[in-house]
Amino acid sequence: MSAADVTTPSRRDGVPRPRRALPSTRLLRSELRLIGGRRRNQAGLAVLAVVPVIMAVAVKLSDPTPAGDGPDFFSSITANGLFVPLAALSVEIAMFLPLAMSMLAGDSIAGEANIGTLRYLLTVPVHRTRLLAVKYFSLCLGAIWGVCAVAIPGAVVGVALFGTGPMVTLSGDQIGFASALWRVVLVMLYLSAGLAALGAVGLFISTLTEQPIAAAIALMIFTIVSWIADSVPQLGWLHPWLVVDHWLAFGDLLRNPMAWGNVVQGLLVDGGYAAVFCLAAWARFSAKDITS
Amino acid sequence: MNVFTEHPVARWAVPTLAVALLGTGAAVANHSASADPSLPHRTAAQLLVDVQQARLAGLSGTVVQTSNLGLPELPGVGGGAGPGGGSSSLTSMVSGTHTWRLWSAGPQQTRLALIGSLGESDVVRNGKDVWVWSSKDKTATHLTLPADEAPKTRSAPRPTDVPRTPQEAADQALSALSRTTSVTTSGTAVVAGRSAYELVLRPKDKDTLVAQVRISVDARRHVPLRVQVFSTKAANPAFQVGFSQVSFAKPDASRFTFNPPPGTKVTQSQLGDHTPSPKDSKEAQKAAQGVRTVGSGWSTVVLASLPAQATAGGAGGSSAGPASSLQGVLRALPRASGSWGSGHVLKGTLFSAVVTDDGHVAIGAVRPQALYAALAAR
Repeated sequence: MSAADVTTPSRRDGVPRPRRALPSTRLLRSELRLIGGRRRNQAGLAVLAVVPVIMAVAVKLSDPTPAGDGPDFFSSITANGLFVPLAALSVEIAMFLPLAMSMLAGDSIAGEANIGTLRYLLTVPVHRTRLLAVKYFSLCLGAIWGVCAVAIPGAVVGVALFGTGPMVTLSGDQIGFASALWRVVLVMLYLSAGLAALGAVGLFISTLTEQPIAAAIALMIFTIVSWIADSVPQLGWLHPWLVVDHWLAFGDLLRNPMAWGNVVQGLLVDGGYAAVFCLAAWARFSAKDITS
Repeated sequence: MNVFTEHPVARWAVPTLAVALLGTGAAVANHSASADPSLPHRTAAQLLVDVQQARLAGLSGTVVQTSNLGLPELPGVGGGAGPGGGSSSLTSMVSGTHTWRLWSAGPQQTRLALIGSLGESDVVRNGKDVWVWSSKDKTATHLTLPADEAPKTRSAPRPTDVPRTPQEAADQALSALSRTTSVTTSGTAVVAGRSAYELVLRPKDKDTLVAQVRISVDARRHVPLRVQVFSTKAANPAFQVGFSQVSFAKPDASRFTFNPPPGTKVTQSQLGDHTPSPKDSKEAQKAAQGVRTVGSGWSTVVLASLPAQATAGGAGGSSAGPASSLQGVLRALPRASGSWGSGHVLKGTLFSAVVTDDGHVAIGAVRPQALYAALAAR
């Protein structure tokens, strides 16, 4: 990982550079190769992708489910294949996708510290802040990756088994396939933003410890405690501040016309979490003594 | 950067500052909603006339309803589904916070959508046709209104008498007005980003649990935007329904057409056939005979006796669950006894209720002691 070319050359020679070079993506590419190359991450993606396939095949093989039973959107799957990714996302957003984020976040700093590669990474003449930014950016890409791993196989299997009929929105209207596909993409982006905000919390936790398992479990505990707090009505004042509270607002994108209030609120909360916890991770990481 | 290298701890000031900024930002965003705009003074009478004369081509917006009535959690009534809560079932609106979307182009064309976390219940009225749609069970009910009953707006089946729109709630509050209430205007408010006058109704009666009712009336369009009912027991409104976002443009006509999507269980029902059924009216008459009122104005107490088999039917008029679950709730209420007998007491923020062991019910917007007195004098 010789990254001498990553730094901007010194300007002591007094010759002004005509144009600032684009920031090198070498560090990011190396990070993404690391994330994508890990066997456990590939296995995790496969598990995420299996759930919608199981749902779709089970619905196809069995009798039509009575309406109102099973997970949300379950009974709508037979009408439109695009409900497969939506049903799978609504099932996996509670536990599986945060678990995937926990794995990635645990590996990002604590994992490197644990196997002793973090200090080598820091010998590269790259500022710690930049390293952290690259780590967080790749976590955000990981969030999109995870959501795609659920939604794309789900959409492919769903369309293959149940076709591309008009989609029934929650308001009871029907919309065409292209419009429905667009809404699924919006839902995917919205959920990715929520997971990316969770990733910022994970990044901060990851700078606190050298044990990736501990960091992953801590983020999972954070998620579960948030869900529990979100379901206790006596903590109503806290709910708007919980990162998980607005995740299920993705349903608002499936109404006709779309209701943006809760979605925008959710994105603001996501942005707040990302900003605060990235800054906390920076405060911790850039002053930290790297001992391993 | 120098400060940070010399004093690494100082870095923590940055995230702390971010938290503080976000916190104050959110607080400011909330607070601006209560800033006083400067509007010319209007008396209560002028405001009431304004409201009566308000004519709108159309109305759409988001309505948020919050109730904190101090009711016990009723199984099957307050039931939110899973984490995130927010049931879209029409019977769930008795407690908690609920969000509605409303479109209206006159009384003949209205659409109400109750927003749940991953579901929605709609009531669509277009002329004589009323559709009730539930996305959770994929059912639709089609009601045809009798032609002569057209002025009776929004006669869709409703599980409770809780007002759904600010307009509806204001109408109910105004009809309850009498010499028992002092009506004043108190400054102005901002509701849904619009300036509004505040009409304040204060009961003259000191016994009632209702401290005041505040109705916010839009300063330009003269439409009630928010209704708040305050209890003497709490500083926050015990019941509140108001727009969080509102527009006075006429909604698209397609909003009011509803075609049940394929795969929907459609129930047809003729409303005209249902109401004058002789059996129903006989039962209603029988029930009405047992109902008496004691006192007047805000501290009126309603006394009734329950038919033995229909404990679920009479209590509060909002019973949706099966009788057994309601009796379970009843048993969970605290017991009280005195010269009036003994029974279960419900102490709500806006009303109290007593169900005696020998099948009598007393309900009123008063403290339980007043109910005991009414029962003892029975």
